[in-house]
This record gives sequence, structure tokens and C-alpha cells, in this order.
Amino acid sequence: MTAWIDGRPLEPRPGETILRAAARVGIEIPTLCFVEGIAADGGCRRCVVEIAGRDSLEAACHAPLSDGMRIATASPRLRALRARLDAFQCDAPPEPRCDESHPYLVFDAARCIGCRRCVQVCDEIPGRSVWQVAGPRDAPRIACDGPGLLRASSCVACGACVDVCPTAAITDRDRRDAPAPERRVRTTCGYCGVGCQLEVGVAEGRVVRIDAVQSAEVNRGALCSKGRYAHAWQRSADRLTQPLLRRGDALEPVSWREAIAWVAERLTAIQRAHGPDAIGLMTSSRGTNEAAYLLQKLFRVRFGTNHVDCCARVCHSSTALALAQVTGTGAASASFADIERASCLVVAGANPTEAHPVVGGRLLRRARSGVPLLVIDPRRTEIAEAATLHLALRPGTNVLVFNALAKLLVERERYAADYGASRCEGLGALATFLAGISIEAAAQRTGVALPQLEAAAELLASHGPPLFVSGLGLSELTQGVASVRALANLALLTGAIGQPGAGMLPLRGQNNVQGNADMGSQPAQLTGYQAVSDPAVRARFASVWGAEPPTHAGLTIPEMLEAAAAGRICALWIQGEDVAQSDPDERHVLQALERLELLVVQELFLTETARRAHLVLPAAGFLEQDGTFTNGERRIQRVRAALPPPGEARPDWLVARDLARELGLDWHYDSPADVLDEIAEVAPDLFGGVSMDRLDENGLQWPCPDRAHSGTATVHATAFVRGRAQFSIVPFLESPEAQVPGYPLSLITGRVRDHYNVGTMTRRTPQLSLAADDALTLNPRDAAPLGIADGDTARVESRHGSATARVEVSERVLPGTAFLSFHFPETHANCVTGPARDPESKCPEYKLTAVRVAKA
Amino acid sequence: MGVSAPLFFPFAHLAVLRAAGAEFEAALAEAARISGIPVARLRAAAESHPDLIAGLDTPRICRGTSCELSGAAALAASVGSARPAYCLGHCDRAPVVLDARGGVHVRCEPRALAAAFADATPTPSAPRVRTLGCEPIVTRRLIRGDFSALGDARRDGAYQALARAVAAGSPAAVIDAVVRSGERGRGGAGFGTGEKWRACASTSGARRIAIANGDEGDPGSFIDRALLEYDPHGVLEGLALCAYAIHAREAIVFVRSEYPRAAACLERALAEAEAAHLLGERAPFPLAVRVVRGFGSYVCGEETALIAALEGKRAEARPRPPFPTESGLFGFPTVVNNVETLANVAWILERGPDAYAAHGTPASRGTKAICFNAGFRAPGIVEVPFGLPLCDVIEFGGETPCNRDELEGVLLGGPMGSFLRPEACDVALDFDALRSAGHELGHGGLVAIPRGADLAALARHLIAFMAEESCGRCTPCRAGSARARALYERGERNPDVGEFAEVLGVMESASLCAFGRATPRPIRGLLAALAEAQP
Repeated sequence: MTAWIDGRPLEPRPGETILRAAARVGIEIPTLCFVEGIAADGGCRRCVVEIAGRDSLEAACHAPLSDGMRIATASPRLRALRARLDAFQCDAPPEPRCDESHPYLVFDAARCIGCRRCVQVCDEIPGRSVWQVAGPRDAPRIACDGPGLLRASSCVACGACVDVCPTAAITDRDRRDAPAPERRVRTTCGYCGVGCQLEVGVAEGRVVRIDAVQSAEVNRGALCSKGRYAHAWQRSADRLTQPLLRRGDALEPVSWREAIAWVAERLTAIQRAHGPDAIGLMTSSRGTNEAAYLLQKLFRVRFGTNHVDCCARVCHSSTALALAQVTGTGAASASFADIERASCLVVAGANPTEAHPVVGGRLLRRARSGVPLLVIDPRRTEIAEAATLHLALRPGTNVLVFNALAKLLVERERYAADYGASRCEGLGALATFLAGISIEAAAQRTGVALPQLEAAAELLASHGPPLFVSGLGLSELTQGVASVRALANLALLTGAIGQPGAGMLPLRGQNNVQGNADMGSQPAQLTGYQAVSDPAVRARFASVWGAEPPTHAGLTIPEMLEAAAAGRICALWIQGEDVAQSDPDERHVLQALERLELLVVQELFLTETARRAHLVLPAAGFLEQDGTFTNGERRIQRVRAALPPPGEARPDWLVARDLARELGLDWHYDSPADVLDEIAEVAPDLFGGVSMDRLDENGLQWPCPDRAHSGTATVHATAFVRGRAQFSIVPFLESPEAQVPGYPLSLITGRVRDHYNVGTMTRRTPQLSLAADDALTLNPRDAAPLGIADGDTARVESRHGSATARVEVSERVLPGTAFLSFHFPETHANCVTGPARDPESKCPEYKLTAVRVAKA
Repeated sequence: MGVSAPLFFPFAHLAVLRAAGAEFEAALAEAARISGIPVARLRAAAESHPDLIAGLDTPRICRGTSCELSGAAALAASVGSARPAYCLGHCDRAPVVLDARGGVHVRCEPRALAAAFADATPTPSAPRVRTLGCEPIVTRRLIRGDFSALGDARRDGAYQALARAVAAGSPAAVIDAVVRSGERGRGGAGFGTGEKWRACASTSGARRIAIANGDEGDPGSFIDRALLEYDPHGVLEGLALCAYAIHAREAIVFVRSEYPRAAACLERALAEAEAAHLLGERAPFPLAVRVVRGFGSYVCGEETALIAALEGKRAEARPRPPFPTESGLFGFPTVVNNVETLANVAWILERGPDAYAAHGTPASRGTKAICFNAGFRAPGIVEVPFGLPLCDVIEFGGETPCNRDELEGVLLGGPMGSFLRPEACDVALDFDALRSAGHELGHGGLVAIPRGADLAALARHLIAFMAEESCGRCTPCRAGSARARALYERGERNPDVGEFAEVLGVMESASLCAFGRATPRPIRGLLAALAEAQP
């Protein structure tokens, strides 16, 4: 089997195009409309080649190479033809129209040659159809889907079209007049838990452009608007550039030497006066693994406290705990690549097209290409609109829906019996429990009709094991752990966990929330989820750390705040977290902070929390430091400084090291790589094979126990970490926020696409022009009787407090449900949320608060 | 589209809503909602389908070649608000007008048009049908009149082949028989029918689809229209046999909007056959059949463009592979067969593949319906065995001497076929023999170019057709056809050297589908003849 391309022999491979085969032997055939990784459009014909014995030419981008073909790719005839085609391509009637309406993108129609690369890539990468081929056949033109203008289109500003436009008809506004990059630095995005790989272009001491790393396994050339454009925070004039020490009411600049000496002395004094349990630490999920590791180590070995926690507590702590109970480990069992492998998709309590746009786009595209998708969510999100079936349940009733589906699968014998018998335990008890529940009652309480439940069970059972993508809509409830365990029952009944293209894929919120918990920023667990209560574990840490960590479990974030309010915790070190804006029951949080003798905050900006601190330490952002982040699929990836931090701001890991030295510890880490080596040493089961030099290309997915190990894409593939997986008996319990008299609406809080969490970064970028404020979404049937119209301002009030926001009237929320984002401090969204939390994980109930609404 | 969701054709739904009086945007929004296609994407795609934009409430004047030679331009000038159509399929009685109610007016005189429009229900009679040197196979009913009523068709044996095949229980046997018959697809490409079915049947998909391609757009050809109107059960039976053979449970007949009577006849025939449980969910072989009317694009005769139109996309061809037999309508393995191809199938199964293969040549088995336009002395349809010399077909079928005293030449196979001088017609009617001689059989329409005809005007007509019906997807065809038109208007007519010739060459060598590759051929032929006449 041989073919020849320009005289070079090669063996044809089944289905391989001439273009790809030629590339394999180093022959580049010119293309125009072809976009790597996307099925050939075949329209421009620029890649036509000659095949010996045939009169007509074939387009190399879609013609397969077959045995015996003799192909010429660059004959004089072809060169002349391509020159003509280039001229033809520009024949489109000029359209002197430039769309400057969008904050990030400019479309100059006069430069468009109609190659359709933008159309292809928009369908493929963000899974949208912003760009269209419109117009009559003899004058097709490229148009966006907004009524005339990009600003009004469904564009999410991912920039994928800009990357492929050959004529700069579509351009990035931010780099139009920017100097060419002097250098490009590959790093990991600091926004969400997807962990996209960025190429940061730097010139004249600032970021001039950010591009996707085309070859990166995680994002495959895709980015979202935040990752690509929202970097102006880095050079924002209000960055913290000096340590600030409280003197009276004022925060005054001091030197680092003075700041470190002062805080070392204060912490030592408080420990001496009140004991180790008077000191607490919250590490940041925005920071590096190395910083989190060193901070928790410092507080454990030097101050003897296990009051160490991170914001995973207030997001996926329920998921982690539930999955650990069921399978033996709390992280995702699957990987993002499973989205493309899956034969059936489930999205429960997650809004990925807004909160994780790169993953959301991939889910959207799979759904639109016909992969069955079940969405379980109280809101009619974008992904719900693309779903085969959407179960719009009432907030807080996940457990009822999941149990009903489990009952249908079991009683109709539509479950993976072999898998259940050979790999799991507790199926009999589950069946007995399910026999006692009523599907009709579940349908009644959840608002999901019986036929829909039946259709959903059928969908789960009919297409092979599903991939379960979940979010905080499960975790952030008083039945958070219960919701995830009940979902895991479905994953086990369908035989999904441990299978390629299937399993559990919780979407992690912050860039390093996975890593932060991995590092041991948890009150009961040390690095690598090793229990502090285990003497053998403590002994191993002692042998590396030189001192044993304390034996009893510490307090979680909400418990620390309670202890602070009660005066039991006197000193709190908060690394990069704005608890005053992000934690529930804002009034209570502020009381706690005010009572502290010492509040130290490491931050980029003077946040609501930082302005209450006694010492504020200026931190380096993700563009300004080295280290690693771990994404939601357990992938440890490198973070590299593109720029130095402004002023005297410093990476957090250096601050931890220097404070340790000030306190007399012999810490001699010279770089994050040294810290990572120690992490591998203390938690060899998960990280034994991890070191900085192995992370250059696509990082490593833990568990990676030794240097010969290439990482783990699918956990529990052959056996569960805990041996057999555990079916759970999960009774439904009403939330204290359910059906509260006088508070008829159920409020869900969460994020929108254009901002990130408390907005510290995104509010300092042009993202602000995409979304300028928080919005309260109300169903028209709820808004109308209250006399509230779209755009009005309304007051939303719970038993705990109230907030005021602009109203968006939309069918995206069900009648009886409302949604409020929490990106702007002036909204005080968390004045509304209450103290309810999951009894096991302590995760707050952000996703359900009984409220009433009135026009303001 | 999941494996069990019902098929939904956004543009067909849009057209139905529009016909019921809905506003375009409202109908579009409804079609978008049901299909899940973003409304802007659907709107942009609709802009490539002239009927969806213009609606069907203006008269259409046939600008097919036969009508063009019979004074269609003058007719168009006499009707104010009319759209051109390529073509209305009554080439044997040109010129033709389709009124807004779907009535067809043949042999129209501009002066008599107003009176013709007043006739509420014009019913042109069936074309004249004969055979030459063979028994009637594809025209077995057509030749004897109107068999659109189920009773008549059944008395003539319709659905017996289907019943026997289903009773025998072997779809593979049906495929074997069709393969053995040697039948080649009549749409123009001449791909083996049984081979196509086998390719589809051997895919692993859970859902397969059979489509009858009734988008007979080639000016000069009207056999498909005649079959759909007068032997619809023959077509439906062939389609059901195809579906049975490939394990499809769904079938579609795509009928162009220029053939409203054919669509109506077919719909009536389908309803009768379903009521008699010969087709439909309650038939022994359950098959859901739907008739979908087209949206005014010639290119939808190309199978990938037809599929795209059904899916709610622009009327554009796409690259193959994947072939529709692997990934067709909504990604399901699909067989698209021409109407005439399907109308042969029941006969092949009834009489046996060998009886079919006994006709024709080794390369082109069986018979072919040849359509003669009004320029011949005997217009109509003549079924002939493959292999007859083309000049004999013209002389004895068209009853027109095949020489320069009578003819400048003939246009064979429509605008993607060939222009042949009379002396070049000494070639066997056979897919491969014609190809070897540099010609294409196309769909087997013959248009006489009478002596003294204005060849320059005819060339202009074909160039206009090429530019107006190019689907716009690929650069050589979209830009090349427009350039060729502009150059021709500037007086460039040399088909062998110079810019005009080069533009045609780019189209022929590099276009994505057969349209751009083939439409320059008859233009070159005409211009060569013109150069000969005006040295």
C-alpha cells in the first residue's frame, strides 16, 4: 500500500485526507478555509491538488488519500490556479461597513472575503452560531446574529473567530493599537477551574494580548472573554503596592521588613496569650499550590492550629465529601476530554456556558450534534435549552428527583446489574429504601411531572453510561452532600464511574480550588487528603516538617467566623478571599471580623475584607508569579510570571517563607519547584511523581504516584479507591429555607458569564461594559403582580437581611424562583443569604433562600 | 437529532406556515423554536432559498432552455410581477407559465396570457410517451395513461413487488437483485443503484433514511414530473423497496416547488396507499413516508444540497466523503435516489434482474427515458435501450433528421450536459461511451437547437443560468460564474484562449460539486459552434 505525494512515497491511512497525509511527510499544501480540527468546509478550493490520471482536481482538505495515488501539490498549473482563486476569493462585493459596537471585537465587513472560517470556528469552539452565511446564493455575506450589530449578538467574546480570520476583518479591539509582544509567556488562566492555557504577550511592561495555547489539552485553542481580554486589573491604578498597617482608623504604608516583624510578633503574642486554637487561616483558591501548602504548613507546625480551611468549603465541599464517601476520593473521576467521548451527558445544578464557558461550549456543541443531554436545574439556562430533556425542579429538591430516577432505574431493571454487583455495595439496601418512596409525591414536591421523570430515567438508561457534570446547584444546599450522594447513586446504577466517556465531573469554581484542598487547606486533612487524626500520617509529616501537626481537627470557615464572633478566635490570616462580600449572612461576617484582635489579609486590592484588616499585604496576581494550579480534572499545570508584581507586591509563597524565617524556622525554599518537591514527598500516593520539570506541556493529572507514571485521566478505572463503591440511602429533608410563610420566592445566588465571583478582577476590566451591575431575575408571572417591570429596581428581602438590585424579567427562572448575582459589593447579595448550611460539609446554602420581593 | 426524535424539516414547516398566512418572521421563529436552530442561523440559511424569501404567490415564467428558445423572454416582458423558474418541466410544449395558484399554462402566447390566467384549472395533458427498440419499463404505466389512482395502479400490479419482497423477508435479496440488474442512478452521475443501497445497509446506524429526489431541475428533462404525476405509485413502491432494502423506517419524497401538480398527485397517491395499508405505519413493512416540497434551488438536485435544505441549512453542496450513505440527513445513513431510478425497481424485482440487464450495454444496463423538447418534430418521452446511437434516437425517437439542415445541434442532459453538433451524435447512448467522447448523459433530456438559432443568445442564457443557480459555497463556481457572465457581456466569447476560457477552466477543474465542473461544458460547445459560424 503506497501512494506518492510530490514523489514522496507514504502509506495511506484509512480516512486520512491528502492534506493531513502531506503534512505527515512535511509537505505543506496551501489552504484558506480549512481550520485544523474542524471538518473541512471545502469551499475555497485553494488546496486543490493534481492526481495522476484524473482531469479534474481534488481538494486535499477533504479528499482521502488512497492506495496508488500519485499526487502533485505544487505544479505550475496549480500555482497559477491558486493565484486565480486568491483573486476570485476577493470578488465579494465590498461592503463598506465597520461594526465597532462591541467592547472587545471589531468587524470590518469591507475586509471580509467570505472564507467562512469564523462561521466554522464559532460553531465548533464556543458552540454558538454568532457568525452566519447570509444573503442570496450569488452574493453570500458574513453576518452576525445580532440585529445588525455584534454588541446585540449572542457573541460571548471568546475571540476564536479573531484567531482564524485571515484578513483581520474581525479583530480584537484591545490589541489593535497595541505594540507587538516583546515576549510571550505560557501560563495557566487565573479565572475558573477549567485551567485554560494562556500565551501572554508582554510589551512595554504590560500585557498587550492574551491568546489560547492551541496545542493545550485542556482548552484546545479556546478561551472565554475573561481569559482572553479581562487582564486590565493587572495594571489597575488601585492595586495594592505596599504593606499597609492599621494605625487608628487609617491603614498606613510600611516596609515589608516592618510588616513581617510586626505580624510575627503579634501572632506569637496571641498564641501565647490565647493558645493555638485562637489562630485561624483561610488560604486562597486563587493562589498557587505552593503558597497554600506553605501557609497551612506554617500555621500547623509553628502555631499548632488545624483551623485551616479554604473556600472549597463554601463551594464544592459537599461534592468532595460525598464523592469521598461513595468512591474513596472527592475529586472528579472523569476528565474534560470525556465530554467528547461521552454517549450521554447529564448536567445537574450547573450553568457551564456562563460559569465555565470553555467547557460549556464543548457541552453545547455535543448536545447540538445530537448527543443525548439531560439537564437538571431550576433555571432554564442556555445548556438547558440545548438539552434533550430539561427537568426544571424546584430549588432544594435535587434529592427527590435523583431518588425518583434511581427508583425508576431499579424497578424497571434498567440499571447496570453486573457493575452494581461486582463493583459496588449496598444495592439491596438502596432498593429496599427506594421501594418505600413515592414517585408521585416526588413529582408533586419537585414540580417535575411523572412522564418527565420517566423519560429522564429512560434517557439515562438508553445510551450507555453517562457523564455527570455537576455544579454548586447540588453542593451549596443544606442537602448538599445528600444531593451529590443521590446523584452518585445514578452514576453507579448506570455503571458510569471509572468508565471512559462517563463518570463524575464536578465543575470546580476557582482556578485552584481543587489544588487548595489538595494541599491540605482543610481542618481535618493534611496534604493529599491524609487525615490529621491518623498517627502514621502525622509521623510522616513530622519526619519532613520537623514537627508533628496538631491531632484534633480544626474549624471550617463558617465555624471560624462563628468562633471569631464569639471571641474564641482572635487572629485570622486570610489569603486572597473577600469573605465580607462572598460569605453568606454578611452582617454576621462583619461582626466576626470586627471582633478580631488581628486580621491579616493578603490581597490584590483593598476589598471589603481588606479594608477591615490590621495588616494588608500586597499580593502578586496570577500573571505575576510562578508555581502551579490544579484544575477541576485534577490536572496540575504550571503558572509562570509574565510580569513582575507592581510596586512591592510579592507572591504569597515568598511571604509565607519569609514569615517562617522571621519566626525562626529553617525554611530554605528557593523556588516553587522546591516546594512542589516537598509536596510530592509528603503525599506520594497522589503527587509522588509530580515535579515542576514534568509539567511543561499539559501538566499531570493526579493520582501520579511516581516519576514513571503519566497521570490519571479516569479514576476508579479498575477498582474504586475505597475498594467497592457505596450506594447511599439518602432520605429527603426539607431545607429550613423551604416554604417559609411570608417569603414566597426561592432565591438562588450565583455567577454570570461576564464577571468572576466578587468581581475584584473583572470589575476592573472592560467586562464591566458587558455587565455593569448585578441583576435580580424574576419570572414574569411573579413580577407582574408586584408591579415590577424589566429594568425596575427591586428590594429582595429574607429573614436574614435584604438587598437591592435591578430586575431582569425572564422566563429563565421558573415561577416562584428568583436569581441574584453577587459580583458587586454594593448589591450586598449576601445580606440576603442566611446561616443555613450542610450539617456534614458545612457548605452554606447559597442556592436557596426564602425571600420576598418588592419594587424599590 | 436523537435516534428516536421525529424528523423535523424547518423550511418545510416554514413554507407550510407561510402558505397558511403566517408572517415570515413569525413562521421563522416557530421553525427555529421546534428545530432548536438559532433563529438568526435559520434566517440566514433561508435567504439562499428563493421561494422562502419571495413566497409562492407570484407567477413563475419558465426560463428553461426549451422555453427560452420558444420566446420566454418576450413572455416575461409581458408579465409584470413574475419570477423566473429553471424549469417548469413542460419542455415539450414551451413556453410555459406557472400561475400563483399552481396552474400550468403551456404554449403560452404573450397576448393570450391574460385569458390563460383566467382559466382556473388548466390541466395540461400527459406528455406523449413511446418506446424505441425495447419494451416499456420505466414508462410501463406512463405509456398507457394516468395511473395515479390507487385502484388503477394496483390493477396494473403496483405494490406486488413490495409485498413479495416483504413476504420473502430478505432485504439483502432485494439489494442483490438490484445490483445484478446493473441499474445505474439516473440523476446524472450514474452510480450503481444497488451498490449505493448496499453501502448504506452495511453501516451500523440505528436509523436510516430513504429519499426520492424529485428535484428534477435540468431544463429539458420532464420524465420525473411525468412519473410523479401519472405513476406516483410506481415511484412510491420503488422508494419503499429501497427503504426495505436498507432497513429504513422513514422515507421522504423531495419534490421541487416548480412541480406543484406532481407534489399534489404524489400526496394524494400516498394518502391512498396509506389508507390501504400498503405504506405507512400499518403496512406489513411499516414505513413513514413524507412528501416535502422544495424551495426553489436548482442545486438541491445535488444530494448533499438536498439534504442540507431539508435540515434547514443553506442550499449548498458539501464535500464528500462522508457520503450520505454513511452520514446523510441529520447524520443518519441515507440513500438519495432519483425518481426515475426508483420507478424501475419494482419492474426489476417483478421480472427479474436478468430481464432488465438484457437491455442496454454491459456498462449501462436497461433502458433510459429520453425527453424531447418542443423543438423536435415529435416532442415527448421515448424510452430507449442504452446503447442505441444518439443520432438514431434523435431520428427515430424525436422524428427529426439529425443533420445540419435541420439542427445546429442538440443540448443533451441539460445545462450540466453537453452541446453536440449533429455529426457528433454518432455516439452510443451509454454513460461511459458518452463520457469517453467528452459528453454527459445527465438526466437524458434533449433540447433541439434548430438551424439558425441564436447561439450567442443561447450561450448567454446558459451563462446566466450558471451564475444564478450557483449555490455560492465554493469560490471557483461562485466567483467564476459571475466573472464569466461579466466577461461574456463585455464581448469575451473565446472558449479556448483568453481570460474567459481560463475562468471556465478554473470552474471545471476546481469546483466543489458537479455543477461548477459541468456547467461550462455546453457553454464551450455552443461558443465553439458560434466561432465556427462567425469566423
